[in-house]
Amino acid sequence: MSWQPTTLNLSMLALAGWALFLGVAAGRAELLVAAVPLLVALVLGQRVARPPALHFDYAVSDSRLVEDERVTVTVTLRAEAPGGVVELLEPLPPGVWVESGRNHAFFTLRPGEVVRWEFVLRCAGRRRVRLGGPHVRLWGPLGLLAAEGRYRASQTVAVYPQLEPLRHLPRPMRTQTFVGNYVSPSQGEGIEPGDIRPFVAGDQIRHVNWRATLRLGTLHVTQHHRERNADVVLLLDTLSEVGPPGETVVDRAARGATALAAAYLARKDRVGLIEYGGQLRWVRPGSGRAQFQHLADSLLDASVVFTYVTRDVDLIPRRILPPQALVVALSPLLDARFVRAASDLAARGFDLVVIAVSPVGPARAALPPGRVTDVAARLWALERRAALDDLRRRGLTIVDWDGLTPLDPVLATMRRPRLRRVLAG
Amino acid sequence: MRLAAAALVLVATAFPLAIYAAAPVTWLALAAGLAGGMGVALLSVPVVTVAGALAVIAHAVALLIARPALDPVSAIALGATLMLLLSLVHVAGRTAGAALGASVVASQVREWLMVLAVGVLAAALFTVGGTALASGFRAVSLPMVVVAAALGAGLAMAGVIALVATRREPPATG
Repeated sequence: MSWQPTTLNLSMLALAGWALFLGVAAGRAELLVAAVPLLVALVLGQRVARPPALHFDYAVSDSRLVEDERVTVTVTLRAEAPGGVVELLEPLPPGVWVESGRNHAFFTLRPGEVVRWEFVLRCAGRRRVRLGGPHVRLWGPLGLLAAEGRYRASQTVAVYPQLEPLRHLPRPMRTQTFVGNYVSPSQGEGIEPGDIRPFVAGDQIRHVNWRATLRLGTLHVTQHHRERNADVVLLLDTLSEVGPPGETVVDRAARGATALAAAYLARKDRVGLIEYGGQLRWVRPGSGRAQFQHLADSLLDASVVFTYVTRDVDLIPRRILPPQALVVALSPLLDARFVRAASDLAARGFDLVVIAVSPVGPARAALPPGRVTDVAARLWALERRAALDDLRRRGLTIVDWDGLTPLDPVLATMRRPRLRRVLAG
Repeated sequence: MRLAAAALVLVATAFPLAIYAAAPVTWLALAAGLAGGMGVALLSVPVVTVAGALAVIAHAVALLIARPALDPVSAIALGATLMLLLSLVHVAGRTAGAALGASVVASQVREWLMVLAVGVLAAALFTVGGTALASGFRAVSLPMVVVAAALGAGLAMAGVIALVATRREPPATG
C-alpha cells in the first residue's frame, strides 16, 4: 500500500489554475482570491500523519450451508493510533447477495477502539463461496490521498443443495452381497418368506411351517429371501451447460444427484459418482454418512470444463463402475458423446436409468422473454421429446425431468421393463 | 448529500449572475448549472469540475463586462463554495451505497470546516496583503504586474504538484 493522489487533487488543481489564469488574463484580483481556498485545501490535504497499524479479525458464522441459508460475516477492526477514515469493501462472488447490512462501509477509528462490522449474506444455488477478505482503503484529509490494500482472509463457505426426500427410487435389478433393504431372489437368512421345502437335518425348528407340515404329513420348513444392498453409480453429465449462473442444467442435475445419493445411502446401498465431462472424475462407491459428505463435496465442484479430448467410459476402472451396479445418469442429453456413452453402457448390460434434465427451461430463463423465444422453446421441447422417444425405442430407460419440480413424482411414473430389450443399433 | 451539493451548484452559478445578469453570463451560468446538476446526479467529480470551470469563466466574463469595484468577500465565498462542492461530491460518490456511521460524517464535516476556516483566513490575508502591496506598486506598469502574478501562480502550481506527487509510507495492516 502506498499513498496515491485521488482525482480530487486534479479537480481542485484544475479549478485553482483556471481561476488564477483567468484572474491574470482579465486583470481581476477577485479570481485570484477565489483560487486561494482551493489551494489551501490542496496544501492541507497533503498532511498525512503517520498511519496506525490496523488489526483485522475475519470470521464467518458457518462454513457449511444449505442453499438459501444465511451466513454472517464479522470483521473486527482495531487501530493502535487515530486512523482517520477507513473504507472496507467485501467483494461478493456471483450468486451471493447481501441480506442485511452492507458489504461496503466507512469507519473512523480512535486509538485502541475496536470496530465490529457485520453483514449477512444469502447464497443461492450450490457453490463453493470463496470470501477473500475485505479491500481496505485509508483516506487522507479531505480525501485527497488514499492508500489501498487488501486484508487476505481465505474463508470458504460450501453451499449444498436442498435435499429432497425421495421415496420412489429406481430399483436396482441386481443386488450385492452385503445386507440391505432389497429382497434378493436368492434364499437364505431374511424376513421375507420364499419357498417351502421338506425338512432336512440342520434346519432350525423355528423355520418349520406347521400349516404345510400338517397338510402334507411330513415336516416342511419355510425358506426366506435374503435382504441385500446394491451398488448405485450416479453418472453426471458435465459436458454441456445451459442456463443462467446458479440455475444451469448442471446445477439442477447436481441437485437431483445429491438427493438420489442421500436416498440410496439411507437404504444402506453403496453409492458412487462419475463426473463425465472435460475432466473425468469419480468417487468410489461406498456407504455411510462420510460417503455422503464425500459425494456432496464432489457434486459441489461439478462443473463444465472445456476440452477437445473425448474420454470413453472404458477408461473408468471396474471398482468405480461395478458391472452389477445400477447406473443412474443425469444429463440434459445435449452432447452426443454422453448419449453414445449411455448407449454403450446399456449395450454392455449395465442396469441404466437416464434422468434427462430438460435444458429448455434454463435456456429460456437465460434469454429475454418474447414470442420468438416462446416459439423456439416449444419447438426445442418437441424436438427433444422426439429424441427421447427415439432413445427409449433403442432400449434406454429415460425419465424426463425439468429440474424444478420435485424429482420424486417423476421417478414414481417411471416404467422399467423387467426383461431389458436388446439395444438396437 | 446530493441536496447539499445541488445547493452549492446553485450558489456557485448565482455569483456571476449577481454581478451581471445579462445574455453571455446567463448562458454560461446556465451551462454551469446544467453540468453541475448532471455531476451531482451522477456523483461525478470530473463533471462537477467542468461545472466549476464554467462558473469561474462566467464569473470572469461578468467581471470583465460589468467592471465592478473589488469585492473580496464574494470572491472568497466563490472559492470556498467550489472547494466544498468538489469535496462534497467526492465524498458522496465514494460513500454511495455504503454503511456510513455518524462519526464518519462528523469527522468529514469537522475537516471541511477546518479547511474552510483556514482557506477563508488565507484568502483574507492574501487580499489584505495584495491591497497593501498595490499601494507600493502603483508606479509599476501593468505588464510587470502580470509577469509577477504569473510567476507567483507558476510557483504555487509547482509547489502543489510537488506536494501531490510526494509518496508517503503506507499504514501497516495486520
